[in-house]
Amino acid sequence: MGRLRGTLGSIAVLTYLSVVMAPVALALHRIISVTGFTPRDWIRSLSENYISAGVLEFTLVQAACSTILTSMVALPVAWVLGRYRWPFEPWIRAVLTLPFVIPSIIAAMGVLTLVGVHGANIRANEATWWWTLIASHAWFNMALYIRFCEPLLSTMDPRLEEQLRLLPNGRSRLSRIRNLWAPLLMPSMAAAACMTFVFSFTSFALVRWITIRDDTLESMMAEVSSSAGISGYMETSSQIVMGASMIQFTILLVCLWLTSAIQRNRQARLRLSSPRRLDSPSWPAWLVLVPAMVFAISPLASVVVGSFRIRDPTTGNSAFRWGLDGWEAAIHGSFSFPPMSNAISNSLGYALVALLVALPLGYLLAATIHRLERTKPLLSRVLDISTMLPFALSAAMVGLGVLIGVIRLNPQSLYQFWPLPSLAHVMLTTPFVVRIILPALRSYDKRYEENAMVLGMGSYARFLKIKLPLMRGPLVVSSVFVVAMSLGEFGASFIIARNSDWITMPLLIDAWRAKPMKDPLSAPASNSIATVLMLITMGLFLLAERFRSDRQGGMF
Amino acid sequence: MATRNKHKTLTNPNLILIATLLVTAPLSGCVMLDEASSEDLQDGELVIVTYDVLALSEDMISGFEESSGLTVTMLKLDDAGSILDYLIQNRGNTNVDLAIGLDNTYLQTAIEFDLLEELDLDKSGMSAPGSSLARSSMDPLEPYDGPLAVPYDMGYICLNYDTEAVDGENLSVPPSLEDLTGPEWRGKVALPSPVSSSPGRGFMLASLDYFDWQSDDGLQFSDWWSSMVANDVVITSGWTEAYETHYTGGYGEWTEGYIGDAHITVSYCHSPGVESYYNGNWTKSAALDIPKTSFFQVEYASAVSGGNALYAQKFIEYLISPEVNSMMPYENLMYSVLDGLDLPEEDGYRSNSQIPAAPASIPMEDIDDHMEAWLDQWNSAVTSGG
Repeated sequence: MGRLRGTLGSIAVLTYLSVVMAPVALALHRIISVTGFTPRDWIRSLSENYISAGVLEFTLVQAACSTILTSMVALPVAWVLGRYRWPFEPWIRAVLTLPFVIPSIIAAMGVLTLVGVHGANIRANEATWWWTLIASHAWFNMALYIRFCEPLLSTMDPRLEEQLRLLPNGRSRLSRIRNLWAPLLMPSMAAAACMTFVFSFTSFALVRWITIRDDTLESMMAEVSSSAGISGYMETSSQIVMGASMIQFTILLVCLWLTSAIQRNRQARLRLSSPRRLDSPSWPAWLVLVPAMVFAISPLASVVVGSFRIRDPTTGNSAFRWGLDGWEAAIHGSFSFPPMSNAISNSLGYALVALLVALPLGYLLAATIHRLERTKPLLSRVLDISTMLPFALSAAMVGLGVLIGVIRLNPQSLYQFWPLPSLAHVMLTTPFVVRIILPALRSYDKRYEENAMVLGMGSYARFLKIKLPLMRGPLVVSSVFVVAMSLGEFGASFIIARNSDWITMPLLIDAWRAKPMKDPLSAPASNSIATVLMLITMGLFLLAERFRSDRQGGMF
Repeated sequence: MATRNKHKTLTNPNLILIATLLVTAPLSGCVMLDEASSEDLQDGELVIVTYDVLALSEDMISGFEESSGLTVTMLKLDDAGSILDYLIQNRGNTNVDLAIGLDNTYLQTAIEFDLLEELDLDKSGMSAPGSSLARSSMDPLEPYDGPLAVPYDMGYICLNYDTEAVDGENLSVPPSLEDLTGPEWRGKVALPSPVSSSPGRGFMLASLDYFDWQSDDGLQFSDWWSSMVANDVVITSGWTEAYETHYTGGYGEWTEGYIGDAHITVSYCHSPGVESYYNGNWTKSAALDIPKTSFFQVEYASAVSGGNALYAQKFIEYLISPEVNSMMPYENLMYSVLDGLDLPEEDGYRSNSQIPAAPASIPMEDIDDHMEAWLDQWNSAVTSGG
């Protein structure tokens, strides 16, 4: 059994290197062969080209502002959710954390419908675009603060606060915040802020649709991707891609390292916690929670409403009627767009392939890391870090890895290889599987196995009858995560599928919406596909919630 | 996103097998599109790479399929630039037979990269000289008359303006490009980028000729673009955003997402005619005929090197046949390339369309030789402007 474990571990590591790391390495090699190894020129090309000038500044500023606004919006929500006992609390928590699992292309469609001509009607004023984007990022990332901060708030030993009230430094509410809550919450807030910054920094679908001419590094890389990596043609594109990737990778790496360091700190403090004691919500708490619920639900509801609302082009912009025309157009397709069923079956197929590869691969990697922790701690640490490295690769970078590193090896064959888009999904999801499974393996009580051995159970029987059932929760959560992430994946698929006939639900949503808006069905048709994808994602999310341990912190 | 009209879909897949294949099968040994080796059109499949060309309608394609016996599969990309990117990326091992949509700003690059196959087609019906029609100055064979590409539509790219906003009181019709850098035009001009838009590229070429690209001093061209940026010109990635979202003179005001902050934009000199045709003989848009600010654009169909040239030729013959090509003004909102065919007169289509008196003139070979340098110049100008 030990030898088998070793062999499986080696296969997992080799597969990981060839499936996850090799495409990126090949892409780097190809682009560098076009541009030469000139990092200074890569960076300089960003400011020297119209398409990329100012993009880094925009990306940084919008990510910073999004982080600030998200903190302002989400912290009070996490506070009231953690400090009071709410009716239907699991449902409230599910609604408030739902935006984070909703694919960003759906969020983009929802926001466009909300601010569009039949909603708030502020879209015609270009000055509102910036704040629409920042608010959308706050909507999307609100769940991070709830996931990171709310468990601490709800399990905090109330005696700490009671004792502090008796001391001179804890008599006023402000002093208690300064001396107790702020120091305790700071690590969780900082971790949530880091992740919010990361997700806003790499924002693609929301930026593509809301700020249009202002790109992030991520959306700009997607724009120039089709001409990157070609020798003797538009070589500037390759330079821009290298410059943007280098900066993005560095910034993401720093943010993720910070998050990891802060989380370690947070976990040490969490030991202070004890079973919670909660009060019924006061009216100010309701004033925080109800608007937050409306904020969380509005874009999602507007996607559904928008799928039935048809603009009447004959009577100007303001008139509309209700109908199923958008659904019919999306279901039947047109000469330019395939029917929705094609996109659904393809998306489900890609998700299944991604699951079948990423889940066993991620499990075996986690098991190998866990096994090596006892025997070869240094090797285990190296493997652990290498499985985290892809977190610093954005979806666009992964897409470029598949396009430039893999597809261009043999475009004729590879463009015909139906499951290829799944490769990007495997690259993006495997590290998450490792992160979900590894803590579960670490907390797995070996005594169960030892007892089973004493009872004469074989190794396979122990694995199937004891370990697997005990690991069911993390396995289901990671499976749901892989499927949901694959179904909603947009950035990498956009780059890979741009010059192919691959179609997924997010790509079809984007394509319908990109149709010149003279067609009154372009918005309702895209919203109807978004509604289907949203319902599937919500179903998966509810399934995962059933298997998550209660009040589990973190992102997953 | 690219779309095909016949999408490969997983309808009844053995997913476990496919997943196993993903991990174990050598990637180069995958399913390959059958190359058409037989000349039996009945069993053949014609693969076309194009963008969303309006003329390639479902009726038009099915008409061809019925008459030829071929099955058509289309790979639809974003624009003409994407077609060139695709052909270069897949050079030497493409499964595409025909490229439709490269224009005279991209064609020469495709020729230089040896991406196209020679065809033997009779183009005599396309020559315009001697025609008594208003479009007699439009010769579709003038930019390129070789065996590697066949024109299928054409038109002049030029500035369009909103006659209600540019009424001589609040704003006057600019007699020169330099006027657009003045304070009255601040933030009121929307131009598509030449990096990502064909009309944008055509207009940039026209502006080069306007400022005499053959002179040693290219400064005036760069200076003008820098001044335009300083004057808050709206530069968009594509024609659609400039015309639909920003231009006040066109149909954009009837679309969602309309901003309407620009009274001048780049479109075709016959775009006002199209507006009029679809608005029951009414338009407030007009073409701006400043000498050397318009660019004659011709779009081509070409057999792709490595593809089935016979299939490609069959489709091109159909595309330039009088029945199909005469419908270009209706189906593709462009001029037909056939001699003797002009825009229709009904609903002001022709009367609101203009033929520029003195268009820009830059040979296609020069465009290919200098395009990257010109784009660099434009790039420097707009990034240093403002």
